[in-house]
Amino acid sequence: MKSPSPFDLFSESVTRGLARFSSRRSVLGAVGATAVAQSVPALPVARAAEKPLTEFELKSQTKDPTRCDYWRHCAIDGVICGCCGGGIHSCPPGSQPSPVSWIGTCRNPDDGKSYVIAYRDCCGRTTCSAPDECECNTADRALPIYRPQNSNDIIWCFGTASQRYHCSTAALIGSAD
Amino acid sequence: MHRQYRKNFVVPLLTAVLPCLAGLATPARAADTLEPEQEYTEKLPPTMGEHWALVTTNGSFTLYDGDKAKILGTLPGDFEANLAIAPDRKTYYVTTTMWTRGDHGDREDFLQAYDASTLALTKEISIPARALSVFKNQDLGLSNDGHWAYIFDMTPTTRVTVVDLHAGKVATNVDIPGCALEFEWAKGGFSSLCGDGGLANVSFNGGTPKVTHTPRFFDADEAPVFEQSPVDPVSGTAYFITYDGKVFETKLGPDAKPESPWDLDEAAGMKAAGRGVQELGWRPGGSEPFAVHAGTHKLYVLMHVGHYWTHKDPGQEIWVFDTQTHKRVARLPLPMPVAAISVTQDASPLIYAVSHVKHAPGKLLILDAGSGKVKHEVDASALPMTVVAGM
Repeated sequence: MKSPSPFDLFSESVTRGLARFSSRRSVLGAVGATAVAQSVPALPVARAAEKPLTEFELKSQTKDPTRCDYWRHCAIDGVICGCCGGGIHSCPPGSQPSPVSWIGTCRNPDDGKSYVIAYRDCCGRTTCSAPDECECNTADRALPIYRPQNSNDIIWCFGTASQRYHCSTAALIGSAD
Repeated sequence: MHRQYRKNFVVPLLTAVLPCLAGLATPARAADTLEPEQEYTEKLPPTMGEHWALVTTNGSFTLYDGDKAKILGTLPGDFEANLAIAPDRKTYYVTTTMWTRGDHGDREDFLQAYDASTLALTKEISIPARALSVFKNQDLGLSNDGHWAYIFDMTPTTRVTVVDLHAGKVATNVDIPGCALEFEWAKGGFSSLCGDGGLANVSFNGGTPKVTHTPRFFDADEAPVFEQSPVDPVSGTAYFITYDGKVFETKLGPDAKPESPWDLDEAAGMKAAGRGVQELGWRPGGSEPFAVHAGTHKLYVLMHVGHYWTHKDPGQEIWVFDTQTHKRVARLPLPMPVAAISVTQDASPLIYAVSHVKHAPGKLLILDAGSGKVKHEVDASALPMTVVAGM
């Protein structure tokens, strides 16, 4: 069986997220209006290959996921959950993962391949007070809020019980090559 | 041992009792020399000073007098609150989101009005919701006549709540699908930046809002317009600036039409910085990297040397451009990297700048906008957003 494409994985993630938090028809109506009014923008995964490396990509490492230069953190903005009692794709006790996220396309320096990363926020607890070096704000191909799927300035706590931001994770959701 | 004890006891006793006896003999004299102080609350002038600014600090906005680098007062500002100053400078508006029990409970979103003289809370208006998108000035704006507040919201669909500040209640909600933020017109509405590379223009002056769209004028994927692009609210002129340093001057309105762009580097006599991720050049960047001085048609930009996609990097210099001749007229070096600037709107303006030094709290630098001389450096624990009157 053919494995699902990154687009399928992302779509599934977003759809599941929407299904979980959108209890009111108005939300779905507005989302529908967005989809109709705007042509769905091309995901960045298609243009990840064959580009010169960014400064982040040249310096990134694969050993310590609690550092800002960890390869998956190419477009993260926030406190790394791994510094706060969570992990690279798990939330610290007392907080909840957001069902939706922004995404980045990051290059793993070990195999030279690019992967789709979902930066899911952990929510519902006051912000984690980790050391300064756990607060990251990388911006490789991060876009403004009017392109929300690639915007890392947004508090991505839609659909959780409380939209209070706690920390950010970087889950691997598929290949971008 | 015994004698020592007695001495220790008697001497202090006499010391304590004798002045009391003396006091009994001359009660009137003591009253003449010591008036008990009365506690009172300070008051500020009725309008915000021209050289003042509200600086984002931890959980608050701190009001500074830039001439003296002195704190005048504080406004509350919870989690990612926004702030706007009324055009008549007599009221400060804060939008805030809170949960009744800290990080849980009922969510409450509201707009508060504070009197500029007493800093007393004068009005509190509940709103449906507001965006919790890292604080940016462009989340909250006021109409030039002080009648309407525009509050950007994202749920994650996007809309703007319009509050009637005269009536003290929400007037309408405007859906702006695929678009975000608000840039005020000179009169009768606002525009938003859209993911298709155009603008949504929302006409509103009471009644039913009308939305128009401009054709695409920028590439939202490869060279997006900064969310923090500045507007001169008096003329309703926006300067939409792209990550690659192009400036689209746009007179905002229902038929907004961005003009042909000019380039920041070319305006400085340099080659335009391209979009290469290994191409070093002078580029705009920061948290609030732009300010305009409406009276002299000047645009202030935080610039740094970097590759493409370094649009969040702090500035090493402030470049000053004439928006009419499209030429750089000054280059102001900074003593440390700076993340945010604002410029007062008077004839002898000050620049408020917030430093961005890794692992150090934000310093507030106050510069003479003409000479670039740093007049004050304050350990303000400032966050990278400052708001001045008239902007």
